[in-house]
Amino acid sequence: MKFGKRLKKQIQETLPGWQDKFLSYKELKKLVRLISAAPRLSNGSMDYGKAEAEFVYLLNNEIDKFNLFFMEQEEDFIIRHKELQQRIKRVVELWGPNGSMPSERDYEEEMAKIRKAIVDFHGEMVLLVNYSNINYTGLAKILKKYDKRTGGLLRLPFIQKVLEQPFFTTDLISNLVRECESIIDTVFPAEEEAERAKEAKEAIVVAGEGILRNTVAALLTMQEIRRGSSTKSPFSLPPLNLPDSELIKSIQLNAAVPIL
Amino acid sequence: MEARPAFSIERSSVKQLTNMGVSGALSSSLPVLPTPPEEKYPKLPDSQQATAEKELMTRPLTNSSHLNSSGVVGHLFSSSPGYSTDLHHSSLSPHEKHSRNAHFISQSLSNMGSLPLLYSSNNEPLPSTTSSHYSKESSALWNADSLSSFLDFPVNTSIENSQVENSASTIMASEEYCKRNEWHDWADQLISDDETLTSDWNDLFVDNNIPDLEPKVTSQVSKLSSQFPGHQFKGQQVVSAPSGENCAIAPPSSSANSASVKPRMRWTPELHEAFVEAVNQLGGSERATPKGVLKLMKVEGLTIYHVKSHLQKYRTARYRPETSEGSSEKRVTPVEQVSSLDLKTGMEITEALRLQMDVQKRLHEQLEIQRNLQLRIEEQGRYLQMMFEKQCKSGIEKFKAPASSLESPSAAASEAIKDSPAKSETEASKLDHSKTEPEQAKDNITMEESSPPKEVGEKHNAPETKVSENSEPQPHAGEDDTQPSKRQRTEE
Repeated sequence: MKFGKRLKKQIQETLPGWQDKFLSYKELKKLVRLISAAPRLSNGSMDYGKAEAEFVYLLNNEIDKFNLFFMEQEEDFIIRHKELQQRIKRVVELWGPNGSMPSERDYEEEMAKIRKAIVDFHGEMVLLVNYSNINYTGLAKILKKYDKRTGGLLRLPFIQKVLEQPFFTTDLISNLVRECESIIDTVFPAEEEAERAKEAKEAIVVAGEGILRNTVAALLTMQEIRRGSSTKSPFSLPPLNLPDSELIKSIQLNAAVPIL
Repeated sequence: MEARPAFSIERSSVKQLTNMGVSGALSSSLPVLPTPPEEKYPKLPDSQQATAEKELMTRPLTNSSHLNSSGVVGHLFSSSPGYSTDLHHSSLSPHEKHSRNAHFISQSLSNMGSLPLLYSSNNEPLPSTTSSHYSKESSALWNADSLSSFLDFPVNTSIENSQVENSASTIMASEEYCKRNEWHDWADQLISDDETLTSDWNDLFVDNNIPDLEPKVTSQVSKLSSQFPGHQFKGQQVVSAPSGENCAIAPPSSSANSASVKPRMRWTPELHEAFVEAVNQLGGSERATPKGVLKLMKVEGLTIYHVKSHLQKYRTARYRPETSEGSSEKRVTPVEQVSSLDLKTGMEITEALRLQMDVQKRLHEQLEIQRNLQLRIEEQGRYLQMMFEKQCKSGIEKFKAPASSLESPSAAASEAIKDSPAKSETEASKLDHSKTEPEQAKDNITMEESSPPKEVGEKHNAPETKVSENSEPQPHAGEDDTQPSKRQRTEE
């Protein structure tokens, strides 16, 4: 499957609500085709310059779009992260075993909700990182295509610029994700391995929807995209080898749930 | 395209004017219009314009973001993407400007009805022709009169004329411009560089932004500083006095300037903590006001707009969990909630969550690995290009020395690759593999450290040292045109 199609498919399956926030790969590809098909005049450097400038202009628009969206989401996540922590604190202090009004039932109920909230929050952040990565990949690909078709030298310097863009510097989000993981460890009760394995089978069906579905789809698509490049070069990523890919595939994928 | 007839009208009348007598008012709102050669304009293909317009329409964000591309005066048209930290706006070309202008022009033209030309020689009152629109604005025009000194730049294309017309419709906005000191800076730009379209121009066309121009100007500066020097705006970045630098005259900083866009700041957890503290000090999210929070936070470069939008988000985030605990998660997975809670026990839910966590963790891991790989790939590409350039510059004799040194650093680099997680092994092996095939400059051109020096010596620019860069052959292979260009095509 070609990247463009895979991209579309993944967007549909994982984050349909974000569809227009992704790279307009198809349009850019059309433009590249247009540019390369146009006859090149001998003294047409001006035309060529124009065409390239237009291409760059569009790319820049896309990058702006990514940056804007990414930073909005990032800000939201930062806020929610803090709020979750506060919430846990409140619940523990209020209904926890050492709290002011210990109530196991309320505590458990709240904690269950919190657990779900955290896991979903974690998932959303990961999906944002995925968003960033997919767009980057798309940009790299379209630039490569451009250079190939038009003999231009756009790719290298442009991609350097992209690497510094806010939407690609996902360190902050990754840190939040890791923090989230450590919070989750504290919030989840300890389990034994055997019991886990048994429950896991039943859990698979239950977890067929929601954020999990989105992340599973994202993983699978990632694997596909990296399956093997027809144009291998040192700039290509190696194929992705996921352990437990069977487990992942066995998860039923229903319709994607939009993240609002 | 309504713009078309208008332009032709203007063109004819323009010819009557020797000096583009753009009246003061008109010029005020006119950041330099691109003075593309006249022939460029007619060449604007309809389809492209249509697409450009369509894209403009479908990307409202774009418009606003371009409003930021303020006075990157000298740089807006270079098409070579060689900017280090520029925002992308810097590579706009006259072509795009045309399409954008045309878009805006048609918009404003439709607003204003047919504009008889506003051209007048300097400082002459506008003929109060057509719409009442004008009469309203004629007074405003005079406010801008002081700016007439800026008008000495030649305005000689039809587009500029039409933009002049358009500016009349936005005279109101220009009033605000008058008030701002940045105006003088812009004026300098206008005079010095007649090829650029500052974002003010675009700003004027964004309706909802006009009233907010003034305050937003300041926020633009912070946006500017936040975006350029680094991605993380810690809030401590020094932001020059808003009035002084807003136009981002300095080429590197292209964003900022126009007040039309909501300034985009990058929040960090630390910054947010400071924010929360300030809010709590002020009595909670409901009672705190943006101004108060801003004052308390004492963070340089933070503007009230940043705080306002952040406060809004904060309130929403708090409100939802408080009204119904857990409801914010429900909106994400409504179906699952119903089915899982009703049918399964708490234990299974926990298990399901664990599974979900596992998958998510894995995805995140893979994403991080992938990102690191991508970074490293580009790093190597850059390194190789650097080496290649160095070699070309230093000439043939020095070739043997760098060739051997080339081996060790790149070998070290590939070692680094091997050390990273298993996923990258395939890539490292690819590189190693290619090392042993110096002759094959086909599709898999990769690092070529072991190319024998003698072979390298044959061609001055040594395209045979198979650097995996598309770009090197072109600039450096002056004497060897066919080969580099061919290589460029085959290189992937």
